[in-house]
Amino acid sequence: MRSVRAWFLRYALQLVVLVLVVASMYALYPNFRVEATLERLIPLGVIAAGLAVTMIAGEFDLSIASMAAFAGALTVVLSGLGLILAVIIAVVACTLLGMLQGWAIAKLGINSLVFTVGTLVLIRGATWLVCGGLSISMDDFTASDIFLGRFLFLSPLSGTALAILIGLGIFLARTRWGRELYALGSARQEAIAAGVRYKRGMVVAFGISAGCGAVGGALTSGLSGSAAPSALESMLVTGIAAALVGGIALAGGRGTMVNVFLGFAIIATLSSGLAGMGLKAFVSQLFTGIFLLLIVLAEYVIRRVSDDARRRRTKRLGDAPEPVPLPA
Amino acid sequence: MTTTLPTPTQFQERAGVRRAINRVRTSALPILIIAVFLVASLLVPQFLTVGTIRAIFLATAITGIIAAAMTAITISGNLFSLGVTATVVFSAMIYFWTGEATGSMWIAALGAILASVVLGLIQGFIVGLGLNPVVVTLAAGAIIYGATAIITGGEVVQAHSRELALFATFSPAGVPLPVIVLIVFAAIAWFLTEHTRLGRHLHLLGANRETARNSGISPMFTTIWAFLAFSVGLGVAAVLQASQTLQVQADNFPDLTMNVVAAVLVGGTAVTGGDGSPVRSVIGALFIATITQIMVLVGIPQGTRLFVLGLVVVALVITLHLLRKATTR
Repeated sequence: MRSVRAWFLRYALQLVVLVLVVASMYALYPNFRVEATLERLIPLGVIAAGLAVTMIAGEFDLSIASMAAFAGALTVVLSGLGLILAVIIAVVACTLLGMLQGWAIAKLGINSLVFTVGTLVLIRGATWLVCGGLSISMDDFTASDIFLGRFLFLSPLSGTALAILIGLGIFLARTRWGRELYALGSARQEAIAAGVRYKRGMVVAFGISAGCGAVGGALTSGLSGSAAPSALESMLVTGIAAALVGGIALAGGRGTMVNVFLGFAIIATLSSGLAGMGLKAFVSQLFTGIFLLLIVLAEYVIRRVSDDARRRRTKRLGDAPEPVPLPA
Repeated sequence: MTTTLPTPTQFQERAGVRRAINRVRTSALPILIIAVFLVASLLVPQFLTVGTIRAIFLATAITGIIAAAMTAITISGNLFSLGVTATVVFSAMIYFWTGEATGSMWIAALGAILASVVLGLIQGFIVGLGLNPVVVTLAAGAIIYGATAIITGGEVVQAHSRELALFATFSPAGVPLPVIVLIVFAAIAWFLTEHTRLGRHLHLLGANRETARNSGISPMFTTIWAFLAFSVGLGVAAVLQASQTLQVQADNFPDLTMNVVAAVLVGGTAVTGGDGSPVRSVIGALFIATITQIMVLVGIPQGTRLFVLGLVVVALVITLHLLRKATTR
């Protein structure tokens, strides 16, 4: 019982916001169906998950949206081999690229924000090259029919995404390599001194990030049967917003896949609800921005208040005489 | 003198090597640009013409001004602002509206800069409280973008008065006004960051936040100053951009933010703060514009251009990083 309460308290802010958003969507728009929101797990949910993994490890992967577009282009180009195989090849290739990126970052000891600004442009350029500068589409339009099945409230796409999120959650919380990412994100020097392998951590984090981006991009292209050189550009900002609204700390070391899912659900409910009401995409951008700002401000206020409370407590305890200063 | 000292000369040698590497690091980019210019003027026939050089400098002007301004934020240890595009579009819109309403391009420019400054000061205050600058500016960018799009209904805002284009078309002695503004702005930014007390505060805050606080520098005050400088530059750039295109739409200039960030990084300013210079950021912007222009002249398609540009940025950033590491260790 206690752990359930702790769980709710831990995600209280996000849960309250989510309930408010869902309720207001139902109130404003009677035809709203919350389960339709799950379809946005591809690409938004998985991209937010990928960003979250690097943020937890104390790094930042700006190249993830470019990687998603690249995987999408690869999928369409390779779709002659069979769609599933094409998706798998694209995801594996991108994951390897991401691992290479993580290895380079660790090897050079470079700030990942700096490095991935470069690869953001580089991989976007590679996407243009693969597409030949044009929007491309698959020859076989019926190929994407395999994605149209439905099991309860899940489609094959949202099911895959949900499985990835759950798998990542277990990986981060229960495996040694996953725990090491938290250690690298919260106290890097201490973690390395304690024997955590920094290079392996970076390879794992950036591999996962690129893999998640690739799944998002490849399945999006698989469903629509097309890819464009400038596709999914906005997913970087929306993905970051989802992860942060969910409560992943940009400073590293804090957050779980539950945070990612809640953040995703808030942003996706908002945008699908507003889109359903016939409002344009920029209205949901406005609300995304406001939510992001409000949530970081709320967390800031909570931190300040709890810091003050702790200081007052320690002051009361500290009525005992001050420790004698050591002679200089 | 050194020979008479009994201390091992190894230490001094190492210091000398460090100084040499530092000199390489600060002069590498200018040398590289000169080399690129020389090679290009030999190999690319249309390169050494007034038209091309003018195009390169014009392309540098907007990103260069914003990059120089953003350097203040980066030096102060607050990373980047990711709300560049949205603010430029918003200020451009204000420029057109106040221009149409008052009929004066000066009042319009003032209005646009004022709009940018107000937005910048709000963000500076929030960041000064201790919130992450990337998140705050990202959120602010989304809000400004959304607000701009809602106000305009997503439609194109156009300027009907030709006078509003004068800022872009006026070119005394053949030098376009945006380029003059770039040079003046970079000079002011250089003076402010290198030769004033405020500039030192920026550097110290970025190098070591705790030490800065303990020596009586207010992080809030200094951060607000950095954002003030940034938003003035952003407003000026928005006016120049607006008078160049004479129309603006909410989703214009999607690449601007990343181009500015790339220019700052290629210029060699440290993302961790405390080290950098606005002039170097301008040179970074100039370098990117030069490479792009050469590829356009040679007829390389856009995809390959992006790819090559990405390669160049990655290579330069890695080189600068390795050189910095060699000097600090």
